[in-house]
Amino acid sequence: MNIRLDAIGESLVYAIKYLPETLKLIFIPLTIGLFIGTVTALIRVYRTPVLSQFLALFITIYQGIPIVVALFLYNILYLMKFNDILEALHITKTIADIDSIWIGIFALTMSAVCTISEVMRGALLSIDKGQNEAGFSAGLTKVQIVRRIILPQVVPVAIPPLVNSIVGLIKGSSIVYVIGIAEVLSGALIPSARRYTFFEGYLAAALVYWGLTIIIEKLGTLIEEHLGKFRRSL
Amino acid sequence: MGDLFQWSRLFQNFRIIIPFITVTFRIVVYATVFGLIIALALALVRIKKIPVLYQISNLYISFMRGTPMLLQLLLVYYGLPIILEPVVHIDVTRVWDSIIFAYVTFSFNQGAFLSSIIYSAVKAVSIGQFEAGYSVGLTWWQTFRRIIVPQAVRIALPPFGSDLVGLFQNASLVFSIGVIDVMGRAKTIGTSSGHVFEAYLDVAVIFILCSLIIRGISSCCNKKLDYSAGKEVRE
Repeated sequence: MNIRLDAIGESLVYAIKYLPETLKLIFIPLTIGLFIGTVTALIRVYRTPVLSQFLALFITIYQGIPIVVALFLYNILYLMKFNDILEALHITKTIADIDSIWIGIFALTMSAVCTISEVMRGALLSIDKGQNEAGFSAGLTKVQIVRRIILPQVVPVAIPPLVNSIVGLIKGSSIVYVIGIAEVLSGALIPSARRYTFFEGYLAAALVYWGLTIIIEKLGTLIEEHLGKFRRSL
Repeated sequence: MGDLFQWSRLFQNFRIIIPFITVTFRIVVYATVFGLIIALALALVRIKKIPVLYQISNLYISFMRGTPMLLQLLLVYYGLPIILEPVVHIDVTRVWDSIIFAYVTFSFNQGAFLSSIIYSAVKAVSIGQFEAGYSVGLTWWQTFRRIIVPQAVRIALPPFGSDLVGLFQNASLVFSIGVIDVMGRAKTIGTSSGHVFEAYLDVAVIFILCSLIIRGISSCCNKKLDYSAGKEVRE
């Protein structure tokens, strides 16, 4: 057993330096995922013809692809086709001007949209149908009902599974390391490569992710308790 | 488009890659079997609230749930030799196939996840069931085995199914420690032929099919076991 604590410390410092990159990889997909995911869930629950069947099929299929496989596919497309696309659009930039973190953000966004859409769909289905009917009887339009009656009730129900989705995003964000995007994991390995202390580097990275997850879960519990005040339980 | 994608290459590679799915299956089977053993022990510790062990099991579950699978794999791959060296006096990385590290990691990971599923399923069974068991003169163990477990299994089945899909997808990460599974094989096709896009597309298709199959089996089992007392089984 010769684990060097100073190496763990050094890797921790480097890992935390790259925390902003990991936070980008978590919160940009989360924001987009929340927006698009909620919209797709509404389309599916309110059974918009054609579109809802298409989305159901797409989400079912896309959820079968592991993030790492999707990431490799996007990476190849990006490396081989991106310059052609830019040329076709007459943009005078090349691939070198674009930060590769956006491939990771794109892959994680796609997966976040799918998981959050499923979460929101489950939460929407848990709302009593009578709420819609009550809204109609009070003379509200469909959009008004969704915005003022349904969504406020969905939020508290959706918080616990959403926390799970965010934890999944935190853990998923480390996968982009395999295509060479700089974030917490690759940051933690900078000193490791120099001193050959890989185990310590991975341990430091694990501690950062663990801390992040615990913070998010605590926040989730707090929000849940706060929102719980306004809910009458039977 | 020919340099990126050709149908002929897609089908050719599919034939090369598909046999390697057995590697993934092996990981899933080992991880589920050993994971269940660990999970049952952990769940028992948590239900019985055995001091010291209870705190340790909570920490273990928190770590397994709070850190990325990729990191757990790499930690075991680099850490296990360090831990075992004073015991066996050899570098196990040289003697062991890298898939053994995958078995170990996934078993420990599943142990944590399955124990959470088992624990919450047991907790979901009403305490009145225990009291009913005691009232007819059964011991704690008899009540647990004959009354609680059958009900808990039914509650645990749906989350177990989605956990299995997750495990299956996570197993696609083992290429990062040098295991040649479908993903590892696709990578080698890329380095030898220079055309890697179709190979990864094949991997995606294989995983989609397997996920759909697992989901299908899982929902079939749920329907079969849905013997709600005296009610008609409805979708």
